[in-house]
Amino acid sequence: MIRTTVALFCFAIVICGLIIFRPFAGGDEVAQDRLGTPTAVEDTVTRAAASDLSALAEAAAAVAESERPEVIDRSGLIDAPRRIDVARPNTDDTRLSDMTNNVLAELGFAGVEPVTTNSQAQRQSTSEILAGIEAATGQTSILEDQDTLEAIVIAALRAGETDERIDIIINEAAASGNVAVPEILVTSDGRVDTHVLLNNIVNQANRAAGGQAPSIPATTPDNTQGMEVIVVQQATTAVQSRFYTVQSGDSLGAISIKFFGSIEFYEAIFDANKGLLSSPDRIRVGQRLVIPQIDA
Amino acid sequence: MKTMILAALTSAITSASPVQAQDVRISTFKSDATFSLNGREFIVTRDQNTAATLQGEFALTSRACPPNCIQPMVAAPGVVTFGEIELLAFLEGDVTNGNGLLLDARLPADFADGSIPSAVNVPFMTLAADNRFRTDILRALGAVQDANGALDFSNAMALTLFSGGVWSKDARTGIEHLINAGYPADKIFFYRGGMQAWVHVGLTVQQTQNPG
Repeated sequence: MIRTTVALFCFAIVICGLIIFRPFAGGDEVAQDRLGTPTAVEDTVTRAAASDLSALAEAAAAVAESERPEVIDRSGLIDAPRRIDVARPNTDDTRLSDMTNNVLAELGFAGVEPVTTNSQAQRQSTSEILAGIEAATGQTSILEDQDTLEAIVIAALRAGETDERIDIIINEAAASGNVAVPEILVTSDGRVDTHVLLNNIVNQANRAAGGQAPSIPATTPDNTQGMEVIVVQQATTAVQSRFYTVQSGDSLGAISIKFFGSIEFYEAIFDANKGLLSSPDRIRVGQRLVIPQIDA
Repeated sequence: MKTMILAALTSAITSASPVQAQDVRISTFKSDATFSLNGREFIVTRDQNTAATLQGEFALTSRACPPNCIQPMVAAPGVVTFGEIELLAFLEGDVTNGNGLLLDARLPADFADGSIPSAVNVPFMTLAADNRFRTDILRALGAVQDANGALDFSNAMALTLFSGGVWSKDARTGIEHLINAGYPADKIFFYRGGMQAWVHVGLTVQQTQNPG
């Protein structure tokens, strides 16, 4: 009797242990690991961005300073090989538009003034705190310099790197954890979306030169894989709802460009999907996002 | 018996010293708290005006909640909560010995309006994970970073955090951030009363200590 009881007790403990530690359960990361290769959808995204790019590049090149035409006179965005592991890059709250603005200012675009990014503001406040601690304790502390995405992009553009090389450089830096990127550049497979990054540089350069905001593309389920339109008939009106299923390689910035022509509408998309997305860098393949209607 | 001897002794010392008799003492046998931080001397006493009342910001009783909600007694598991006596003992002990630091978790503007003597301003949000320079702050507080980037807190300073008052979540938020960063809870203390409780009993307030 006592043996049976002890045996049952041991069995119960083992079961509890298995429930708690779940040695055979696959985590999110493992599932995402298998999504490491680009699909046909990726090409659609790229082509859509590329066609926008070429139009914008022409406009921007016309007004850009002549010594740096190679910066923007480039439209063939090429898919770089995907990373196999999908540890997501570090992100921070630096806004892509601020960062792009500072890249353009640093490159000497007329009419672009540098703005203080969140990163710089944090650096300033941290150095004040360190000065306070230093005055209190008498121990000198040094604020470590970290690579910024801004600096990497500026260096790459100055060096005239190709888009493909820029993609590799940025993704290597992000993979090593040395640089934090804006959340909207993180793709569903954990890479940094350099298409969106470069597209936005061209876009903002174009606008700084007095160009128009990009028009809202005609996105239909026919030309966009993963898109659905559902029409709900109400008493007097028909309400059209648009949905988009996240494809491999999508970032929130890319989705914003796909539906609205520029990255600025990512917040509207994020807000419309707060229940699904914990933060803008947490988009996953297969998530069905609501695409809000925005009155232009 | 022991207490009586001590009382007699203390009164003898007090009457013998040239210091004027105080009506408002920190405790029966303690007229002031003297401590030092990196060679700077600080003396905390109480306002001797027995008719003094709170004025201005800290006379307010009813800040809107949320966000200014009444905070629990314990900030986080393992974090000991201090009253004024314990805080003064911390300043006279750990801070004077160079093993501890008093952190004002409020915003720089509030800190500049006056703080507890020897406090260092570390606004609570600068301890959050999204401050990419947080590690630099933690290292300044005595954490040591190894080659892999992991932080070793074994020689880190004991910290006491406070904010505006029992209605302020700032100190607790700062403590939560520190614990999430790996700071050992047994090295963190919580002065729950904060600035309002400090001035409420007329203790010395010092204007900005941080340079710049």
